[in-house]
Amino acid sequence: MMSSTIFLHPASYFILGALLLPIFTRFKMQKVILLAVPLLAFWQIHNLPESFGICNFMGFELVFGRVDKLTYVFLHVFTLMALIGAIYCLHVKETGHHIAAFLYVAGSLGTTLAGDYLTIFIFWELMAFASTFLIWYRKRKRSIEAGYRYLLVHTAGGLILLAGIFLRYQNCHDLSFTQIAVNGATTADYLIMIGFMLNAAVPPIHAWLPDAYPEATVTGAVFMCAFTTKTAVYVLARAFPGFEMLAIMGAIMTLYGVGYAVIENDARRILAYHIVSQVGYMVCGIGIGTAMAVNGACAHAYAHILYKALLFMGVGAVLEMTGKSKLNELGGLYKRMPWALTFTVIGGIAISGFPLTSGFISKSMIIAAAGADHRIFIMIMLSLAAVGTFLSVGIKLPYFIWFGKDSGVKAKEAPWNMNLAMIFASFMCIFLGIYPEYLYRMLPFPVHYHPYTAYHLSETLQILGFTGLGFYLMVKYLHPEPKSNLDVDWFYRKGALVFMWVACKPISIANDWVGEVYQTVGLRFTKAVAKALSWFDWEGIDWAVDGSAKGVVQGGDKMRTLQTGKIQQYVGGAVAALMIVLLVVIFL
Amino acid sequence: MAQILSYLQAHAKVLKWVFFSCLLGTLLFDFLVVRHHPHFWGDSVIGFWALFTILGCLGMIVFCKGLSHVWLAQREDFYDSEDSDNDE
Repeated sequence: MMSSTIFLHPASYFILGALLLPIFTRFKMQKVILLAVPLLAFWQIHNLPESFGICNFMGFELVFGRVDKLTYVFLHVFTLMALIGAIYCLHVKETGHHIAAFLYVAGSLGTTLAGDYLTIFIFWELMAFASTFLIWYRKRKRSIEAGYRYLLVHTAGGLILLAGIFLRYQNCHDLSFTQIAVNGATTADYLIMIGFMLNAAVPPIHAWLPDAYPEATVTGAVFMCAFTTKTAVYVLARAFPGFEMLAIMGAIMTLYGVGYAVIENDARRILAYHIVSQVGYMVCGIGIGTAMAVNGACAHAYAHILYKALLFMGVGAVLEMTGKSKLNELGGLYKRMPWALTFTVIGGIAISGFPLTSGFISKSMIIAAAGADHRIFIMIMLSLAAVGTFLSVGIKLPYFIWFGKDSGVKAKEAPWNMNLAMIFASFMCIFLGIYPEYLYRMLPFPVHYHPYTAYHLSETLQILGFTGLGFYLMVKYLHPEPKSNLDVDWFYRKGALVFMWVACKPISIANDWVGEVYQTVGLRFTKAVAKALSWFDWEGIDWAVDGSAKGVVQGGDKMRTLQTGKIQQYVGGAVAALMIVLLVVIFL
Repeated sequence: MAQILSYLQAHAKVLKWVFFSCLLGTLLFDFLVVRHHPHFWGDSVIGFWALFTILGCLGMIVFCKGLSHVWLAQREDFYDSEDSDNDE
C-alpha cells in the first residue's frame, strides 16, 4: 500500500499524533497537536473513497477502509467527539494520558472502517489496551484494580471474538465483514456476536462498564463513555440487524441499566449504568432490524455520544474541582458551580428526550419503530425506561449535586477549556433537536419519520411532567445513601478470591506434603536416575549434537533478562508489537 | 446565573404552582390532540401516558429501592475489606 493511502485513513492521524506528542510536549506545543489531529480527521472523513487500503497479508485480504452511509454517521460523531474530548482535556499535563486517548480513538475509527474480521480484531484489541490506561492514570489503588479487571474481561471477550473468527474461517474461508443472514447464522457467528455484545455491555456481560468507568480519570471517562459501546453498536448494526435475540436483550438492558441508575450513589456510576440503558435502545433497534429501527439506532448513537459525554463532563467538572462524585457527599453547589449545573441539565434534558433536544428526535424513532413493527411489549418497556431516565439522570443527579441539602463543599467553576467543551456539546444537543434534518440526512436509510407531531409532543410532555411529579412525591425515599450495589461482577470478584484461596490454602498444603514425600523418597531415586541419564547425555547425545545445548542455555539467559515481571511493560510491549504489525501490514 | 437560581429558590412555592398547572396543561393538551396512527389501544386513551408514567415511576422507585435495601446494597468497601481479610 502506498503511503498516500495511509493518510487517507483517519486512524493514522491519531496514531501519528500519539507518536509525535512527546516531541511536541518537549517544545510546549502539546495543545496544538491535541486540537489539530481531531480537526484534520474530522475534515478527512469527508474525503474518503468507498474502498481503500486493501492489502494481502499471509494469504488474507485485509480491508482497512470500507465507507458507506452506516460507516459515515459513526465516523462523523466519533471524530466530532474526539475534538470535544480533546478540548476538555487540554489542561491535562500527562502526555501518556493523551497518547492513550489518541490510540483509543484510533482503535475505534479503525474498527469502524474495517472491512474484514482480522482488521477489526487488531483495532478492537488496540481499543481495549489503550483505554485501560485511561483508568490506570487515575493512579488510585481502586483504579489500578478496576483497570486490571477491565483488561481481563475485555481480553476474554476478545478471545471469544477471535474464536468466532477462526471458526468462521474454517467454515467458509471468508472473513469479509458483512451482514449475516438471520437464518444462516452458525456457532461461529454467535461467538462473534457474543464478543461484540460484551463491548456493548449487554447483561449479563455488562458489569465491566459500571465497574471501570467510575474509576477512570475525569477526562478518560469522557472518552470512554463515547467510544467502546458505540463502536460495538456499529459492528452489531453492520453484521446482526434483525436478530430477535438483540431486540429482547436490548429492551431488558434499557430497564436493567435504569433500575441501577435509580439506586446508585456515585454520580459517575449512575451515568455508567445509564449507558447500559441507552445502549439498550440501540441494541433493541438493531434487533428489530427494520430500516426505521436501524436508522433510530444510528441516530440515537449519534445523539447519545454527545449528551452522555456532556453529562460525564459536567459531573467530571465537579469531581475535578471538589474531589467528590458521591451524591451523599455533595449538594447545594448551585451557587458555586452554576455553569456546570447548566450544562449538566442540558445533557439531562437531552437524554430524557425533552422537545427541542437531541433525545427527542432520536430515542422516539426507536420507540416508534417498535410500535410500527407491532411490538407493543417492547415499546412499553422502552417507554418505561424513558421514565426512569428522566427520574435518575434528568432530575435525581442534578438535584442531589447542586440542590438538596447544602454540603458546604468548597468549589469554583471549572477551567475555561472544560467549559468550552461543554458549551460545544450543549450546542450540538440543542442544534440537533431544533434541526433534526442535519442528523437524519446522514442516516443509512431514507428517513420518513417526523418527530414533531402533536401526539408525540403530548405523550412526551405527559411522561416528563408526571415523572417530575413522581420525584416530587418520593424525594425523601430517593435520598442518596453511601452504599454500592451488587451486580454480576460479584461472581468474578468473589470467584477470584475463592480461586486465590484454593491456590493458597489446599493446593499449597498439598504441594508441601507432596514436596516432603518427594524429599525423603523420590529425591534419592531421582538422583540415581539423573546420574545414569547424565552419563548417557554427556557421553551419547551431546557427542551427536555438539554445541547446540550451549546455545540454548545462552539464549535462555538472554530471554530471562528481558522478562521484567512488570505487567505494564508487557502490555506496553504488546501494544508496540501490535503497532509494528500494523505498520508492516500497511506498508507491504 | 447563580442569582437567577437563588431567586427561583426563594420563590419555590410559586414554582410549585407553576409546575402543577403545567401538569394540568399537558392533560388538557391531550384532549385536543388528533391521533393519526395509534400503535395500540393505550394510544387512543386520553391521559394514558400520564397514568402509565406516574404508576411506572412510583413502581420503579419502590421496586428498585426495595430490592437495594433487602439485597443489593453493600458497604462501599465491600470488595476491599475482603481483600484485607485475605491478607491477614
